This record gives sequence, structure tokens and C-alpha cells, in this order.
Amino acid sequence: MTATDGPRQSHHLLLRRLHSLSGIVPIGIFLLFHLTTNASVVWGAANTRMPGEGLERGVATFQHEVSWINNMPGLLIIEISLWLAIGFHSILGVFYAMSGKSNVGSYRHPDNWRYTLQRLTGYVGIFFILYHVATLRWGWTFLVPGGTLWSHEFAASTLAAALRGSQEGFTGAGIAVSLGYFIGITCLVFHFANGLWTAAITWGLTVSVGAQKRWGVVCAGLGVALMGAAWMALIGFLITDPGDARVIEARMGGGSHSVPDEHADDAIGAAPLGREP
Amino acid sequence: MAIAYAHESTADQRRANRKKAVDGRTVICKVKRCDGPGKPSRWESFKVPVEPGMNVIACLKHIAQNPVTSDGKTTTPVVYDSGCLEEVCGACTMVINGTARQSCSCLIDEYAPREGDTITLEPMSKFPVIRDLWVDRARLFNSLKRVKAWVPIDGAYALGAGPKESQANQEVRYDISECMSCGCCMEACPQFNIEPDESKWDTSFVGPHAIAQARLFNAHGVGKVLKNDRLDELMGPGGVSDCGNAQNCVKVCPKGVPLTESIGAIGRQVTLRSFARFFKGR
Repeated sequence: MTATDGPRQSHHLLLRRLHSLSGIVPIGIFLLFHLTTNASVVWGAANTRMPGEGLERGVATFQHEVSWINNMPGLLIIEISLWLAIGFHSILGVFYAMSGKSNVGSYRHPDNWRYTLQRLTGYVGIFFILYHVATLRWGWTFLVPGGTLWSHEFAASTLAAALRGSQEGFTGAGIAVSLGYFIGITCLVFHFANGLWTAAITWGLTVSVGAQKRWGVVCAGLGVALMGAAWMALIGFLITDPGDARVIEARMGGGSHSVPDEHADDAIGAAPLGREP
Repeated sequence: MAIAYAHESTADQRRANRKKAVDGRTVICKVKRCDGPGKPSRWESFKVPVEPGMNVIACLKHIAQNPVTSDGKTTTPVVYDSGCLEEVCGACTMVINGTARQSCSCLIDEYAPREGDTITLEPMSKFPVIRDLWVDRARLFNSLKRVKAWVPIDGAYALGAGPKESQANQEVRYDISECMSCGCCMEACPQFNIEPDESKWDTSFVGPHAIAQARLFNAHGVGKVLKNDRLDELMGPGGVSDCGNAQNCVKVCPKGVPLTESIGAIGRQVTLRSFARFFKGR
């Protein structure tokens, strides 16, 4: 090795390892919290500290969680860090994925399918995250059927409306969005669980076949649990009636408001305020 | 009677095919042919009467004696590489029914047990074709040079006896030392792709075999003096981090070399080496 290829060599490894690390910290850790928070719309039904009963408590718990997150100091810095990490992981990921050529047609082992799926789910995940963040965070409502703007003070009701495609029932476009969410979250949970498994080989944590199998069980268990949380949340929001949820959220004051702020007004659109109790 | 032909057939299924093999049958040997480097490929089929226990090499020898295709056209004998004929040299590696393996140890009974069955032969796709089934595996050996897969003992005086070897270390090293540089792992690897430009060989993926050999020589009492050189090479472009964990390599390896374990082990050595370089500076 000559002195000149030192930086070139270490940067190659550095980028590869940062790509691996960024998938776990912060992205994977964030995913873990994000999905369990979302699932609170269902598991919150068991939260007796919230008013109402059944899924009403779920809506209230979810709203409570979202309000708590929105009161975190330096939230924007956390968000920007996450966007940068996801952007870094995505751009390098596409670049790395393009260096390989899947051959599942010839070598049909489950491991080879995993390899191919890891890349496919990565591509799908990029589009999904972009749509998800653009519509629900950056307010690109022209991409949301029904034009619902997500509001952190009316978290469950505006999300339910965005998934349905309208304030009332499901529209065709709403079903397409919901299906897109199902595919998106499923892909990303697989991508994380499998990425966690391969990262252990990459870093040299798991060496023997036995160690790789044991860690595989851990990752599969985590993946199944996360998949459960993700699907549970999606089902929870799909069965949440936006109108009913909005009543609960308004009663909670959305942190500081007793009536919807102007964003929420946009979001509610045609929904009459008379629905309020 | 279920017969497994497909490329994903397991060793058990192939062994079962051997028992079902019909005596005195004729099979079709379909060969992907190419007249020389850069020339287009074409398929030719040959009818081959099967003898008991016949392997692919014997099949190709039969074709060389009667180079007539199944539609009656006279052609040239099929060119192929071979050496030991007992699956220890790796020279006769080719893609048979879609997967890489040695043709000398490939029995027709396992792949084409019935009258009229077809066995398909292709050259490996990750190495440049010299002619027909014969490929140039120079890049495979270039990878071994990149990771200095040797024990440095050259010098001006006798170095004396080598260091003592523990039984445990010997057992790890023996499995890796069985590698015969055949190229199956590279052929099956989705991260290892053909690179006709020789100047890029030093920065494109080394392949699973070279990573395993780096582990072998890093574990050798004398070979380990080059450990940092090997790891520095494997930290660079085309090194161990280019592995995508598809784990095809270990499944096609005819010698059962623990390739994926070696990738994990070298991953660990590279992790420690990179920390050392970051904090110690060298």
C-alpha cells in the first residue's frame, strides 16, 4: 500500500460502514419509536388514563404521544438530522445496489432472495418515505387525495382522512394510498430487520454459521414484532372515523387549542364544525 | 416419478435421480458455444449415448469424436478446460443446468436420467470466454495476489522451524485451505460481475475465495506478518465491504469452504484494523 491510497481506501470502508451504521442509528432506532408510537392508536385502547372507551382511548393516547413529540426541544434539528441520515443511506444504498446484479433466477436460495428483496425494498422505501414525509410533514397536499393536511394537533383524524381520501368514506384514491402505506411499511420493516442481520456480519459481530442463525432469530423476532406494530397502526387508522377522532382531539385541546387552528380548518375542509359537541 | 432437473435441485434429489437413470438411453447435450474472445455465442445440441457412470467430460469427449449436432450438421469439437478429473484442480468449472460446478464430478445420471433428457452446458459468465466452455480465470488469481495469499518465507538465510500450531487453529485453517480456486463462488455471487477491463481488477470486488484466503493466511503463524497489508487491501474498493450477503458462494462451493464465516471473520478484523488506524494512526 502506498501513502496515496490510504485515504481512498479508508474512505471506501468509512462510507460503507457509515451506510451500515446509519441504517441502525439513527434510522432504525427512529423506526422503532415511530412504529410503536403509531401503534398506540390501537394499544392505547388499554390506556385507562385516557378518557372514553376502546379505540377512543387509542385516538387520545396517540394524540398525547404526538403532542409530547411536538413539544420536544430542538425537534426541527432532530428532524433535519433524520432527513439527512435517510438521504445519505438512500443515495449510497442506490449506488451500492446498482453495483450488484441479482441472480435469483439461477440460484434460488432464501438467502439470495433476501439479498434481492433488501435492494427492492430499499427502492420502494425511498419512494414511500418521500411521499410520506412530503405529504404529512412538508404539507404537499396536492399529493393527498381529498387534499387533507396533516395536523399534529389533530393527529389521528387528519391521518385517517388522508388514508381514506376524504373526510367521509374511502375513495378509490384513498384505497390506493392505504395500499401504498401497507406496501411501504412492510418493505421498510423487512429492510430494517434484514439489514440488522447483515450488519452483524458486515461489522464482524456474527462470524460462525451458528452465531448468524442465532442473531437471525433475534432479527426475525424483532421484525415480526415491528411488522405487527406497523400493521396494527395502519389498521387502527383505517378503522378510525375522522369525524369521531376530531371530537376527541378537540376535547384534548390539541395541546393549546380548544378549536381547530387554521391548518386544521383546511384539513377538515367540508366537514362541518357543528360536529363538535 | 418426480425428477428434479431444475438448477435448484439438491444433492439429495440428484442422488435420487441416479437410481432412476435408464440404461442405454440417449440424452441431449446442449452447449453454449463461442468461437473466440468477443465473438457471438450460439447454442448447439448433440445426441449422446450414455454409458453407466458417465460424467460431463466423457460426454464432451464423445462429442469430440463425433462433432455432429443433433440436426445432422458437422461442427467443431467443443473446447473445454480440464485437469485433474477428480474435482481438486477447478479447471473444468462450468455452468451446468444454470449453476456453477465442476464438469468432471458431474454425472449425467444425476442431471439427465431419462431418455431424451437435456443437460445444458455454458461457460462461466463472470470470466471472459477463450473458446466455447473454456474461460480465462486470470482475475481470480489476481484477487489472490491482491490479498497476498501466501506465506512470506523468502530470505537470505534459513528461518528455522515455524511457530507451533494449535489443534483448534489447524481445524479452522484446514477447511479454508481446501479452496481450489475454481471460481464457483465468484460465478454465483451477485456482487461479482464480469470486468473485461484488466485495469479495474484491482478496484472491483475480490470475490469470496480471496477473502477466505486472507483469513487463512492471517491465521498462519508466519503468514500473519502480512496481516495488515491484507486487511488494508480488503478495506479498499472491491474489498470485503462490497459483499452483499447473498450467501450464494458458500452454497455452490464444491469444497464446503466456510466462505460466509470467513467474510464475517474478515469483517471483524477489518473493523478492528480500521479502529486501530483511526486511533493509533497506523
